[in-house]
Amino acid sequence: MWLPVAGLIIGIILGLLTEIRIPEEYSNYLSIAVLAAFDTLFGGIRAYLQNIYDEKVFVSGFFFNIILAASLAFLGVHLGVDLYLAAIFAFGVRLFQNIAVIRRILLTKWSTNKEKLEKS
Amino acid sequence: MNRMKVRGNHVILSLVSLVLGFILAFSYHLTKMENEKPKMTDKQYEQTLALRNQLIEQEKTNRELQKELNQKQEKVQKNEKELAKEAQVFSNLAEDTEKYRLFLGKVKVKGKGVKVTLSDGAYDPEEENVNNYLVHEHHIFKVINELYISGAAAIAINGQRLTSHSYILCNGPVITVDGVQNPAPFVITAIGDPDVLSSSLNLTGGVKDQLVNDNIVFKLEKEDNIVLNPILGG
Repeated sequence: MWLPVAGLIIGIILGLLTEIRIPEEYSNYLSIAVLAAFDTLFGGIRAYLQNIYDEKVFVSGFFFNIILAASLAFLGVHLGVDLYLAAIFAFGVRLFQNIAVIRRILLTKWSTNKEKLEKS
Repeated sequence: MNRMKVRGNHVILSLVSLVLGFILAFSYHLTKMENEKPKMTDKQYEQTLALRNQLIEQEKTNRELQKELNQKQEKVQKNEKELAKEAQVFSNLAEDTEKYRLFLGKVKVKGKGVKVTLSDGAYDPEEENVNNYLVHEHHIFKVINELYISGAAAIAINGQRLTSHSYILCNGPVITVDGVQNPAPFVITAIGDPDVLSSSLNLTGGVKDQLVNDNIVFKLEKEDNIVLNPILGG
């Protein structure tokens, strides 16, 4: 359990310490990538809670979504169409749905646990 | 085996979380930097704009001033050249002035020259007319003219300088030069080349012979150092 947490901490430290400067017009892609990563993460948590978690799907989805979102934004910038809005919309909606599902599952679990405790 | 699989899961998961953490932190960092950099209020922006405009204005003015400076420098150079020319002209004029002053008798003159002394002839009982052995104005004129023709720069009679408008009058036994009476003997001093002056006076049948014929005692000396004083009140 400690390995993913350590990875997270190392990633944060690396991100904070890097002095790489990316041009301002590419910072849009980065925010889209962040959104995609969040979406996939919560999707994974939801799947795990619903017992339909598949590691291959999660990992491939994580990286694929990030790349897709970034390339969509890139394409949008070059075509003059604000395609990154589509990505934000899609990921945002899914993010809220996933969080809602997670909340419900957790609530159900909590209430069943409580009932079990009361029964026993 | 199961444990191994769990480990593998964890490795992949940690990789995912590493990427996630990196992206998150990087994004956060970047946004913070961007916010820090162009933190400009409207007021500051206006100020910057004003300063920039001022700078541009200043540079424009500088350029104009530079141009003006170049033009002025050219002018100065021209003026300097003219001044140099003028200075030359002035020095020429100064030399000329010095020369003219010399001729006008306004300055003290010093130099080589000759001294001619004209004295009345000795009393001769055979001669009835006393005028025949006195020095007359025309004698002096002759001497002076001869000296001037021979290139004398300045002439004085008994120490009195002659100018271009001097007048010489015979007045009995004395000769009036510019209103000043001079008795005999008359000493005519002239500045110029002594050899030229004396040889011109000594010409056969020239001034000396004519004067001697008129019973006048004529004495000619070459002098190395003659000083002629300027005309008083001239």
